[in-house]
Amino acid sequence: MIEVARLTKRYGRKLAVDDVGFTVRPGRVTGFLGPNGAGKSTTLRLLLGLDHPDGGTALIGGRRYRDLRHPLRTVGALLDGAGPVPERRGVDHLAWIAQSNRIPRRRVREVLDLVGLTGAAGQRVKGYSLGMGQRLGIAAALLGDPEVLVLDEPVNGLDPDGIRWVRDLLREYAASGRTVLLSSHLMAETAGTADDAIVIAGGRIVAHGSLDDISAGHESLESAFFALTGDRRGLGGRGGRGGRGEW
Amino acid sequence: MVRDLAAATRAELGKVVTLRAVWLISGAVVGLHVLLGLQNLDAETEAVREITADGMIERFPGIVRPAREALVEYLAASSFQMCLFLPCVAAVVAGQEFRAGQLGTSLLAVPRRGLLAGAKVLAVGGFLLFVSIVIAAISTAFVYLSIKDWNPGLPVSAEAWTAQVKFLAYAVLSGLTTFAITMIARSTLIGILVTVALTVLTMSQILAVFTPALDALVPLSAGRNLILVPDESLRLSAGPGHAMVVLVTWPLLATAVAATALCRRDAR
Ligand SMILES: Nc1ncnc2c1ncn2[C@@H]1O[C@H](COP(=O)(O)OP(=O)(O)OP(=O)(O)O)[C@@H](O)[C@H]1O
Ligand SMILES: [Mg+2]
Repeated sequence: MIEVARLTKRYGRKLAVDDVGFTVRPGRVTGFLGPNGAGKSTTLRLLLGLDHPDGGTALIGGRRYRDLRHPLRTVGALLDGAGPVPERRGVDHLAWIAQSNRIPRRRVREVLDLVGLTGAAGQRVKGYSLGMGQRLGIAAALLGDPEVLVLDEPVNGLDPDGIRWVRDLLREYAASGRTVLLSSHLMAETAGTADDAIVIAGGRIVAHGSLDDISAGHESLESAFFALTGDRRGLGGRGGRGGRGEW
Repeated sequence: MVRDLAAATRAELGKVVTLRAVWLISGAVVGLHVLLGLQNLDAETEAVREITADGMIERFPGIVRPAREALVEYLAASSFQMCLFLPCVAAVVAGQEFRAGQLGTSLLAVPRRGLLAGAKVLAVGGFLLFVSIVIAAISTAFVYLSIKDWNPGLPVSAEAWTAQVKFLAYAVLSGLTTFAITMIARSTLIGILVTVALTVLTMSQILAVFTPALDALVPLSAGRNLILVPDESLRLSAGPGHAMVVLVTWPLLATAVAATALCRRDAR
Protein backbone atom coordinates (compact mmCIF):
# COMPACT_ATOMS: atom_id res chain seq x y z
CA MET A 1 0.00 0.00 0.00
CA ILE A 2 1.31 3.42 -0.97
CA GLU A 3 -0.18 6.53 0.60
CA VAL A 4 0.74 9.96 -0.62
CA ALA A 5 -0.77 13.07 0.95
CA ARG A 6 -0.43 16.77 0.18
CA LEU A 7 2.94 16.28 -1.47
CA THR A 8 4.51 19.47 -2.79
CA LYS A 9 7.83 20.14 -4.47
CA ARG A 10 9.20 23.38 -5.86
CA TYR A 11 12.19 23.93 -8.09
CA GLY A 12 12.99 27.56 -7.59
CA ARG A 13 9.69 29.30 -8.23
CA LYS A 14 8.25 26.48 -10.26
CA LEU A 15 5.78 24.13 -8.58
CA ALA A 16 6.69 20.72 -10.02
CA VAL A 17 4.37 18.80 -7.71
CA ASP A 18 1.42 20.65 -6.26
CA ASP A 19 -0.54 19.21 -3.33
CA VAL A 20 -0.53 15.67 -4.71
CA GLY A 21 -2.38 12.92 -2.87
CA PHE A 22 -3.35 9.36 -3.80
CA THR A 23 -3.30 5.79 -2.57
CA VAL A 24 -2.13 2.74 -4.44
CA ARG A 25 -3.69 -0.55 -3.40
CA PRO A 26 -2.04 -3.97 -3.37
CA GLY A 27 -3.21 -6.64 -5.76
CA ARG A 28 -3.61 -4.16 -8.60
CA VAL A 29 -1.47 -2.51 -11.22
CA THR A 30 -1.77 1.25 -10.98
CA GLY A 31 -0.72 3.45 -13.87
CA PHE A 32 0.65 6.90 -13.11
CA LEU A 33 -0.13 8.88 -16.23
CA GLY A 34 0.70 12.33 -17.41
CA PRO A 35 2.33 14.22 -20.26
CA ASN A 36 6.02 15.15 -20.30
CA GLY A 37 6.90 17.43 -17.43
CA ALA A 38 3.70 16.67 -15.53
CA GLY A 39 5.56 15.73 -12.36
CA LYS A 40 5.52 11.92 -12.50
CA SER A 41 9.23 11.35 -11.95
CA THR A 42 9.38 14.05 -9.30
CA THR A 43 6.50 12.46 -7.37
CA LEU A 44 8.17 9.03 -7.52
CA ARG A 45 11.51 10.48 -6.36
CA LEU A 46 9.74 12.10 -3.41
CA LEU A 47 8.00 8.81 -2.63
CA LEU A 48 11.36 7.03 -2.58
CA GLY A 49 13.06 9.63 -0.42
CA LEU A 50 15.53 10.77 -3.07
CA ASP A 51 14.29 14.35 -3.12
CA HIS A 52 13.00 16.36 -0.20
CA PRO A 53 9.40 17.52 -0.41
CA ASP A 54 8.49 21.08 0.49
CA GLY A 55 5.43 19.65 2.16
CA GLY A 56 3.35 16.52 2.55
CA THR A 57 4.05 12.88 3.24
CA ALA A 58 4.63 9.71 1.28
CA LEU A 59 4.36 6.33 2.99
CA ILE A 60 4.93 2.79 1.83
CA GLY A 61 3.29 0.20 4.05
CA GLY A 62 2.83 2.96 6.61
CA ARG A 63 6.50 3.95 6.75
CA ARG A 64 8.69 6.49 5.04
CA TYR A 65 11.03 4.89 2.51
CA ARG A 66 14.10 6.11 4.33
CA ASP A 67 12.98 4.37 7.52
CA LEU A 68 12.98 0.94 5.89
CA ARG A 69 15.86 -1.23 7.10
CA HIS A 70 16.53 -3.31 3.98
CA PRO A 71 14.43 -1.21 1.61
CA LEU A 72 15.12 -3.26 -1.51
CA ARG A 73 13.51 -6.29 0.09
CA THR A 74 10.29 -4.28 0.44
CA VAL A 75 10.35 -1.88 -2.49
CA GLY A 76 11.84 -2.37 -5.93
CA ALA A 77 12.25 0.78 -7.97
CA LEU A 78 13.27 1.79 -11.44
CA LEU A 79 13.98 5.48 -11.89
CA ASP A 80 15.09 7.69 -14.69
CA GLY A 81 18.58 9.05 -14.24
CA ALA A 82 19.54 6.76 -11.36
CA GLY A 83 21.48 4.43 -13.56
CA PRO A 84 24.66 2.43 -13.37
CA VAL A 85 28.06 3.96 -14.05
CA PRO A 86 28.71 3.19 -17.75
CA GLU A 87 32.14 1.61 -17.16
CA ARG A 88 30.83 -0.99 -14.75
CA ARG A 89 29.80 -4.46 -15.85
CA GLY A 90 26.10 -5.22 -15.51
CA VAL A 91 26.68 -8.08 -13.10
CA ASP A 92 28.90 -5.91 -10.86
CA HIS A 93 26.21 -3.24 -10.72
CA LEU A 94 23.67 -5.77 -9.47
CA ALA A 95 26.21 -7.39 -7.12
CA TRP A 96 26.87 -4.27 -5.06
CA ILE A 97 23.16 -3.47 -4.87
CA ALA A 98 22.48 -7.00 -3.60
CA GLN A 99 25.28 -6.79 -1.05
CA SER A 100 24.01 -3.54 0.38
CA ASN A 101 20.71 -5.17 1.33
CA ARG A 102 22.13 -8.56 2.26
CA ILE A 103 20.46 -10.24 -0.70
CA PRO A 104 22.14 -13.56 -1.57
CA ARG A 105 24.52 -13.48 -4.51
CA ARG A 106 22.66 -16.22 -6.39
CA ARG A 107 19.71 -13.85 -6.72
CA VAL A 108 21.84 -11.71 -9.08
CA ARG A 109 22.06 -14.62 -11.52
CA GLU A 110 18.34 -15.27 -11.11
CA VAL A 111 17.26 -11.75 -12.01
CA LEU A 112 19.74 -11.56 -14.89
CA ASP A 113 18.14 -14.71 -16.22
CA LEU A 114 14.67 -13.35 -15.59
CA VAL A 115 15.29 -10.19 -17.64
CA GLY A 116 17.23 -12.05 -20.33
CA LEU A 117 20.61 -10.42 -19.70
CA THR A 118 22.59 -13.49 -18.69
CA GLY A 119 24.62 -13.34 -21.90
CA ALA A 120 25.46 -9.64 -21.47
CA ALA A 121 26.08 -9.75 -17.72
CA GLY A 122 29.85 -9.51 -18.10
CA GLN A 123 29.66 -6.61 -20.54
CA ARG A 124 30.22 -3.00 -19.54
CA VAL A 125 26.96 -1.09 -19.27
CA LYS A 126 28.11 1.54 -21.78
CA GLY A 127 27.92 -1.16 -24.41
CA TYR A 128 24.26 -1.85 -23.64
CA SER A 129 21.42 -0.79 -25.92
CA LEU A 130 18.62 1.39 -24.51
CA GLY A 131 16.44 -1.66 -23.96
CA MET A 132 19.23 -3.65 -22.32
CA GLY A 133 19.86 -0.78 -19.92
CA GLN A 134 16.17 -0.77 -19.10
CA ARG A 135 16.22 -4.53 -18.49
CA LEU A 136 19.18 -4.08 -16.13
CA GLY A 137 17.21 -1.46 -14.22
CA ILE A 138 14.23 -3.81 -13.94
CA ALA A 139 16.58 -6.57 -12.78
CA ALA A 140 17.81 -4.26 -10.01
CA ALA A 141 14.22 -3.52 -9.00
CA LEU A 142 13.42 -7.24 -8.77
CA LEU A 143 16.57 -8.18 -6.79
CA GLY A 144 14.95 -8.13 -3.36
CA ASP A 145 11.77 -9.90 -4.51
CA PRO A 146 9.91 -6.86 -3.16
CA GLU A 147 6.32 -6.48 -2.03
CA VAL A 148 6.01 -3.14 -3.84
CA LEU A 149 7.22 -2.18 -7.31
CA VAL A 150 7.63 1.46 -8.33
CA LEU A 151 8.67 1.82 -11.95
CA ASP A 152 9.22 5.04 -13.86
CA GLU A 153 8.50 4.42 -17.56
CA PRO A 154 9.58 0.77 -17.46
CA VAL A 155 8.84 0.04 -21.12
CA ASN A 156 10.88 2.97 -22.40
CA GLY A 157 13.18 1.59 -25.07
CA LEU A 158 11.86 -1.96 -24.94
CA ASP A 159 10.97 -3.89 -28.08
CA PRO A 160 7.43 -5.32 -28.47
CA ASP A 161 8.58 -8.58 -26.98
CA GLY A 162 10.06 -6.74 -23.99
CA ILE A 163 6.91 -4.69 -23.55
CA ARG A 164 4.78 -7.84 -23.44
CA TRP A 165 7.20 -9.41 -21.00
CA VAL A 166 6.97 -6.40 -18.64
CA ARG A 167 3.20 -6.39 -18.93
CA ASP A 168 2.96 -10.08 -18.02
CA LEU A 169 5.44 -9.67 -15.20
CA LEU A 170 3.52 -6.77 -13.65
CA ARG A 171 0.16 -8.51 -14.02
CA GLU A 172 1.57 -11.58 -12.32
CA TYR A 173 3.08 -9.47 -9.61
CA ALA A 174 -0.21 -7.79 -8.84
CA ALA A 175 -2.11 -11.06 -9.08
CA SER A 176 0.00 -12.42 -6.24
CA GLY A 177 -1.28 -9.62 -4.03
CA ARG A 178 1.59 -7.21 -4.39
CA THR A 179 1.55 -3.50 -5.16
CA VAL A 180 2.60 -2.14 -8.56
CA LEU A 181 2.85 1.53 -9.50
CA LEU A 182 4.15 2.38 -12.94
CA SER A 183 4.39 5.72 -14.65
CA SER A 184 3.87 6.17 -18.34
CA HIS A 185 2.90 8.62 -21.01
CA LEU A 186 1.85 5.80 -23.33
CA MET A 187 -1.90 5.36 -22.99
CA ALA A 188 -2.39 2.30 -25.14
CA GLU A 189 0.37 0.47 -23.34
CA THR A 190 -1.00 1.35 -19.93
CA ALA A 191 -4.55 0.42 -20.89
CA GLY A 192 -3.36 -3.12 -21.48
CA THR A 193 -1.52 -3.39 -18.19
CA ALA A 194 -3.14 -1.32 -15.47
CA ASP A 195 -6.28 -1.79 -13.42
CA ASP A 196 -6.25 1.67 -11.91
CA ALA A 197 -4.87 4.98 -13.02
CA ILE A 198 -3.77 8.24 -11.47
CA VAL A 199 -3.58 11.10 -13.95
CA ILE A 200 -1.31 14.05 -13.24
CA ALA A 201 -0.97 17.25 -15.26
CA GLY A 202 0.90 20.40 -14.39
CA GLY A 203 1.89 18.91 -11.04
CA ARG A 204 -1.71 18.28 -9.92
CA ILE A 205 -3.75 15.10 -9.80
CA VAL A 206 -6.61 15.44 -12.28
CA ALA A 207 -8.12 11.97 -12.05
CA HIS A 208 -7.77 8.88 -9.90
CA GLY A 209 -9.73 5.65 -10.14
CA SER A 210 -10.19 2.45 -12.09
CA LEU A 211 -9.45 2.60 -15.79
CA ASP A 212 -13.11 2.03 -16.54
CA ASP A 213 -14.17 4.98 -14.36
CA ILE A 214 -11.61 7.25 -15.94
CA SER A 215 -12.45 6.40 -19.52
CA ALA A 216 -16.21 6.44 -18.91
CA GLY A 217 -17.87 8.92 -21.27
CA HIS A 218 -14.85 9.00 -23.59
CA GLU A 219 -14.05 7.00 -26.70
CA SER A 220 -10.94 5.51 -25.15
CA LEU A 221 -8.48 5.94 -22.34
CA GLU A 222 -6.42 8.02 -24.72
CA SER A 223 -9.15 10.54 -25.41
CA ALA A 224 -9.99 10.65 -21.70
CA PHE A 225 -6.33 11.39 -21.09
CA PHE A 226 -6.26 14.24 -23.57
CA ALA A 227 -9.44 15.65 -22.12
CA LEU A 228 -8.13 15.46 -18.56
CA THR A 229 -4.69 16.86 -19.26
CA GLY A 230 -5.90 19.63 -21.52
CA ASP A 231 -4.23 18.66 -24.75
CA ARG A 232 -3.45 21.39 -27.26
CA ARG A 233 -5.43 19.65 -29.97
CA GLY A 234 -8.46 20.69 -27.99
CA LEU A 235 -9.86 17.25 -27.22
CA GLY A 236 -11.74 18.55 -24.22
CA GLY A 237 -9.40 21.44 -23.46
CA ARG A 238 -9.62 21.45 -19.69
CA GLY A 239 -7.23 24.15 -18.50
CA GLY A 240 -4.53 22.70 -16.30
CA ARG A 241 -2.57 24.92 -13.93
CA GLY A 242 1.19 25.41 -14.02
CA GLY A 243 3.39 23.30 -16.31
CA ARG A 244 1.09 23.49 -19.35
CA GLY A 245 3.49 25.56 -21.34
CA GLU A 246 6.19 22.93 -21.14
CA TRP A 247 4.80 20.14 -23.25
CA MET B 1 23.26 -1.81 12.95
CA VAL B 2 26.83 -3.15 12.81
CA ARG B 3 25.67 -5.77 10.31
CA ASP B 4 24.01 -3.11 8.20
CA LEU B 5 27.19 -1.08 8.25
CA ALA B 6 29.22 -4.13 7.28
CA ALA B 7 26.86 -4.89 4.39
CA ALA B 8 26.85 -1.29 3.18
CA THR B 9 30.64 -1.13 3.44
CA ARG B 10 31.04 -4.33 1.43
CA ALA B 11 28.76 -2.86 -1.22
CA GLU B 12 30.79 0.35 -1.32
CA LEU B 13 34.00 -1.64 -1.58
CA GLY B 14 32.40 -3.57 -4.42
CA LYS B 15 31.78 -0.27 -6.21
CA VAL B 16 35.42 0.72 -5.72
CA VAL B 17 37.03 -2.44 -6.98
CA THR B 18 34.76 -2.92 -10.00
CA LEU B 19 35.66 0.47 -11.43
CA ARG B 20 38.44 0.19 -13.98
CA ALA B 21 39.61 3.79 -13.52
CA VAL B 22 40.42 3.03 -9.87
CA TRP B 23 42.80 0.25 -10.87
CA LEU B 24 44.29 2.25 -13.73
CA ILE B 25 45.16 5.18 -11.48
CA SER B 26 46.35 2.98 -8.61
CA GLY B 27 48.45 0.98 -11.06
CA ALA B 28 49.92 4.16 -12.53
CA VAL B 29 50.85 5.48 -9.08
CA VAL B 30 52.46 2.19 -8.07
CA GLY B 31 54.24 1.97 -11.44
CA LEU B 32 55.60 5.49 -11.08
CA HIS B 33 56.81 4.65 -7.59
CA VAL B 34 58.71 1.61 -8.86
CA LEU B 35 60.21 3.66 -11.67
CA LEU B 36 61.45 6.39 -9.32
CA GLY B 37 62.80 3.74 -6.94
CA LEU B 38 64.75 2.11 -9.76
CA GLN B 39 66.05 5.45 -10.93
CA ASN B 40 67.38 6.36 -7.47
CA LEU B 41 68.67 2.92 -6.58
CA ASP B 42 72.26 3.39 -7.77
CA ALA B 43 72.68 6.84 -6.23
CA GLU B 44 71.27 5.69 -2.88
CA THR B 45 73.42 2.55 -2.86
CA GLU B 46 76.45 4.70 -3.64
CA ALA B 47 75.62 7.12 -0.82
CA VAL B 48 75.22 4.22 1.62
CA ARG B 49 78.58 2.76 0.54
CA GLU B 50 80.22 6.05 1.44
CA ILE B 51 78.73 6.36 4.91
CA THR B 52 81.54 7.62 7.15
CA ALA B 53 82.95 5.78 10.16
CA ASP B 54 81.00 8.06 12.48
CA GLY B 55 77.76 7.12 10.66
CA MET B 56 77.18 10.23 8.52
CA ILE B 57 75.64 10.10 5.02
CA GLU B 58 75.61 12.63 2.19
CA ARG B 59 72.44 11.79 0.21
CA PHE B 60 72.32 15.22 -1.37
CA PRO B 61 75.47 17.16 -2.24
CA GLY B 62 76.61 19.22 0.73
CA ILE B 63 73.98 17.89 3.17
CA VAL B 64 75.65 15.56 5.65
CA ARG B 65 73.33 13.89 8.17
CA PRO B 66 73.28 10.92 10.54
CA ALA B 67 72.80 7.95 8.19
CA ARG B 68 70.23 6.09 10.22
CA GLU B 69 67.93 9.08 10.59
CA ALA B 70 68.32 10.08 6.94
CA LEU B 71 67.59 6.59 5.59
CA VAL B 72 64.55 6.05 7.78
CA GLU B 73 63.28 9.39 6.57
CA TYR B 74 63.96 8.36 2.98
CA LEU B 75 61.96 5.19 3.55
CA ALA B 76 58.83 7.21 4.38
CA ALA B 77 59.55 10.21 2.18
CA SER B 78 59.80 8.18 -1.01
CA SER B 79 56.31 6.77 -0.26
CA PHE B 80 55.13 10.23 0.75
CA GLN B 81 55.86 11.62 -2.74
CA MET B 82 53.20 9.31 -4.14
CA CYS B 83 50.58 11.05 -2.01
CA LEU B 84 50.64 13.80 -4.61
CA PHE B 85 48.73 11.40 -6.87
CA LEU B 86 46.98 9.01 -4.55
CA PRO B 87 44.06 11.38 -3.76
CA CYS B 88 43.01 11.07 -7.42
CA VAL B 89 41.82 7.55 -6.57
CA ALA B 90 39.65 8.97 -3.80
CA ALA B 91 38.27 11.64 -6.12
CA VAL B 92 37.34 9.09 -8.79
CA VAL B 93 35.66 6.85 -6.22
CA ALA B 94 33.66 9.72 -4.76
CA GLY B 95 32.84 11.22 -8.15
CA GLN B 96 31.35 8.04 -9.60
CA GLU B 97 28.18 8.70 -7.60
CA PHE B 98 27.50 11.79 -9.66
CA ARG B 99 27.87 10.08 -13.00
CA ALA B 100 24.71 8.69 -14.61
CA GLY B 101 22.89 9.38 -11.34
CA GLN B 102 24.35 6.43 -9.46
CA LEU B 103 23.76 8.33 -6.22
CA GLY B 104 20.03 7.72 -6.75
CA THR B 105 20.59 3.97 -6.80
CA SER B 106 22.92 4.18 -3.80
CA LEU B 107 20.29 6.00 -1.77
CA LEU B 108 17.55 3.60 -2.86
CA ALA B 109 19.75 0.80 -1.52
CA VAL B 110 20.89 2.61 1.64
CA PRO B 111 18.48 5.47 2.34
CA ARG B 112 19.95 6.20 5.77
CA ARG B 113 22.40 8.92 4.78
CA GLY B 114 24.59 8.59 7.86
CA LEU B 115 24.99 4.88 7.28
CA LEU B 116 25.85 5.42 3.62
CA ALA B 117 28.43 8.10 4.48
CA GLY B 118 30.01 5.87 7.14
CA ALA B 119 30.17 2.91 4.76
CA LYS B 120 31.77 5.07 2.09
CA VAL B 121 34.46 6.37 4.44
CA LEU B 122 35.30 2.84 5.61
CA ALA B 123 35.42 1.44 2.09
CA VAL B 124 37.52 4.17 0.51
CA GLY B 125 39.73 4.37 3.61
CA GLY B 126 40.30 0.63 3.40
CA PHE B 127 41.16 0.77 -0.28
CA LEU B 128 43.55 3.71 0.21
CA LEU B 129 45.21 1.79 3.04
CA PHE B 130 45.66 -1.20 0.74
CA VAL B 131 47.33 0.84 -2.02
CA SER B 132 49.44 2.68 0.57
CA ILE B 133 50.69 -0.60 2.01
CA VAL B 134 51.74 -1.69 -1.47
CA ILE B 135 53.61 1.61 -1.88
CA ALA B 136 55.25 1.25 1.54
CA ALA B 137 56.31 -2.31 0.73
CA ILE B 138 57.95 -1.14 -2.51
CA SER B 139 59.81 1.64 -0.66
CA THR B 140 60.98 -0.90 1.89
CA ALA B 141 62.27 -3.20 -0.84
CA PHE B 142 64.28 -0.41 -2.48
CA VAL B 143 65.71 0.86 0.80
CA TYR B 144 66.65 -2.69 1.69
CA LEU B 145 68.46 -3.15 -1.63
CA SER B 146 70.48 0.02 -0.97
CA ILE B 147 71.44 -0.72 2.63
CA LYS B 148 71.63 -4.51 2.81
CA ASP B 149 75.44 -4.45 3.09
CA TRP B 150 75.44 -1.74 5.73
CA ASN B 151 72.51 -2.42 8.08
CA PRO B 152 69.99 -4.94 6.71
CA GLY B 153 67.91 -4.77 9.89
CA LEU B 154 67.09 -1.07 9.48
CA PRO B 155 63.78 -1.51 7.56
CA VAL B 156 62.31 -3.55 10.41
CA SER B 157 63.60 -1.34 13.22
CA ALA B 158 61.18 0.50 15.48
CA GLU B 159 62.02 3.86 13.89
CA ALA B 160 61.30 2.45 10.45
CA TRP B 161 57.91 1.13 11.53
CA THR B 162 57.03 4.49 13.06
CA ALA B 163 57.94 6.24 9.82
CA GLN B 164 55.86 3.78 7.81
CA VAL B 165 52.84 4.24 10.06
CA LYS B 166 53.15 8.02 9.72
CA PHE B 167 53.11 7.65 5.95
CA LEU B 168 50.11 5.31 6.01
CA ALA B 169 48.23 7.69 8.30
CA TYR B 170 48.94 10.61 6.00
CA ALA B 171 48.07 8.68 2.84
CA VAL B 172 44.68 7.56 4.18
CA LEU B 173 43.75 10.83 5.90
CA SER B 174 44.68 13.05 2.96
CA GLY B 175 42.82 10.70 0.61
CA LEU B 176 39.72 10.87 2.80
CA THR B 177 39.92 14.66 2.73
CA THR B 178 39.86 14.67 -1.07
CA PHE B 179 37.08 12.08 -0.97
CA ALA B 180 34.89 14.30 1.21
CA ILE B 181 35.66 17.44 -0.81
CA THR B 182 34.62 15.59 -3.98
CA MET B 183 31.37 14.46 -2.34
CA ILE B 184 30.65 18.08 -1.38
CA ALA B 185 31.53 19.39 -4.85
CA ARG B 186 29.72 16.47 -6.56
CA SER B 187 32.45 16.32 -9.18
CA THR B 188 35.70 14.37 -9.55
CA LEU B 189 37.30 17.23 -11.42
CA ILE B 190 36.55 19.83 -8.74
CA GLY B 191 37.72 17.40 -6.05
CA ILE B 192 41.04 17.04 -7.84
CA LEU B 193 41.35 20.77 -8.55
CA VAL B 194 40.80 21.71 -4.89
CA THR B 195 43.37 19.11 -3.87
CA VAL B 196 45.84 20.49 -6.40
CA ALA B 197 45.22 24.02 -5.10
CA LEU B 198 45.97 22.88 -1.54
CA THR B 199 49.10 21.12 -2.79
CA VAL B 200 50.29 24.27 -4.54
CA LEU B 201 49.86 26.22 -1.29
CA THR B 202 52.44 23.93 0.30
CA MET B 203 54.79 23.39 -2.62
CA SER B 204 55.06 27.08 -3.53
CA GLN B 205 56.13 27.84 0.06
CA ILE B 206 54.05 31.04 -0.09
CA LEU B 207 52.46 30.44 3.29
CA ALA B 208 55.57 28.87 4.79
CA VAL B 209 57.55 32.03 4.17
CA PHE B 210 55.01 34.61 5.31
CA THR B 211 52.76 32.85 7.81
CA PRO B 212 54.13 29.49 8.95
CA ALA B 213 51.21 29.11 11.36
CA LEU B 214 48.78 29.07 8.42
CA ASP B 215 51.05 26.83 6.38
CA ALA B 216 50.95 24.24 9.15
CA LEU B 217 47.16 23.96 8.65
CA VAL B 218 47.40 22.83 5.01
CA PRO B 219 47.17 19.02 4.64
CA LEU B 220 50.33 18.49 2.57
CA SER B 221 52.30 20.79 4.89
CA ALA B 222 51.04 18.78 7.83
CA GLY B 223 52.15 15.60 6.08
CA ARG B 224 55.59 17.07 5.55
CA ASN B 225 55.71 18.21 9.19
CA LEU B 226 54.74 14.71 10.25
CA ILE B 227 57.09 12.69 8.08
CA LEU B 228 60.22 14.75 7.38
CA VAL B 229 62.93 15.43 9.93
CA PRO B 230 63.91 19.09 10.31
CA ASP B 231 67.55 20.17 9.99
CA GLU B 232 69.39 23.30 8.95
CA SER B 233 68.37 22.85 5.31
CA LEU B 234 64.70 22.16 6.08
CA ARG B 235 62.55 24.26 8.40
CA LEU B 236 59.14 22.80 9.23
CA SER B 237 56.14 24.93 10.13
CA ALA B 238 55.03 22.76 13.08
CA GLY B 239 55.85 19.60 15.03
CA PRO B 240 54.50 16.10 14.35
CA GLY B 241 51.84 16.29 17.09
CA HIS B 242 50.35 19.43 15.61
CA ALA B 243 50.57 17.85 12.15
CA MET B 244 48.61 14.80 13.27
CA VAL B 245 45.84 16.98 14.75
CA VAL B 246 45.61 18.90 11.47
CA LEU B 247 45.53 15.68 9.46
CA VAL B 248 42.70 14.22 11.50
CA THR B 249 40.72 17.46 11.58
CA TRP B 250 40.59 17.92 7.80
CA PRO B 251 38.82 14.65 6.90
CA LEU B 252 36.66 14.86 10.01
CA LEU B 253 35.34 18.32 9.17
CA ALA B 254 35.09 17.68 5.44
CA THR B 255 33.25 14.39 6.00
CA ALA B 256 30.84 16.06 8.42
CA VAL B 257 30.03 18.69 5.79
CA ALA B 258 29.72 16.02 3.07
CA ALA B 259 27.38 13.91 5.22
CA THR B 260 25.26 16.94 6.05
CA ALA B 261 25.06 17.84 2.37
CA LEU B 262 24.06 14.26 1.57
CA CYS B 263 21.23 14.53 4.11
CA ARG B 264 19.99 17.93 3.01
CA ARG B 265 20.31 17.86 -0.77
CA ASP B 266 18.18 16.11 -3.35
CA ALA B 267 19.99 13.06 -4.71
CA ARG B 268 21.32 14.42 -7.98
N1 LIG C 1 16.12 19.05 -11.02
C1 LIG C 1 15.19 19.87 -11.49
N2 LIG C 1 15.39 21.20 -11.48
C2 LIG C 1 14.46 22.04 -11.94
N3 LIG C 1 13.28 21.66 -12.43
C3 LIG C 1 13.01 20.36 -12.48
C4 LIG C 1 13.95 19.39 -12.02
N4 LIG C 1 13.40 18.17 -12.18
C5 LIG C 1 12.19 18.37 -12.73
N5 LIG C 1 11.95 19.68 -12.91
C6 LIG C 1 10.73 20.25 -13.45
O1 LIG C 1 9.64 19.69 -12.77
C7 LIG C 1 8.57 19.40 -13.67
C8 LIG C 1 8.17 17.95 -13.53
O2 LIG C 1 9.22 17.14 -14.05
P1 LIG C 1 9.15 15.56 -14.03
O3 LIG C 1 10.49 15.08 -14.44
O4 LIG C 1 8.64 15.11 -12.74
O5 LIG C 1 8.11 15.25 -15.16
P2 LIG C 1 7.62 13.85 -15.74
O6 LIG C 1 6.16 13.81 -15.56
O7 LIG C 1 8.41 12.77 -15.19
O8 LIG C 1 7.93 14.02 -17.29
P3 LIG C 1 8.45 12.95 -18.39
O9 LIG C 1 7.25 12.26 -18.94
O10 LIG C 1 9.07 13.82 -19.43
O11 LIG C 1 9.41 12.05 -17.73
C9 LIG C 1 9.08 19.77 -15.05
O12 LIG C 1 8.53 21.01 -15.39
C10 LIG C 1 10.54 19.90 -14.90
O13 LIG C 1 11.03 20.91 -15.73
MG1 LIG D 1 9.79 11.39 -15.97
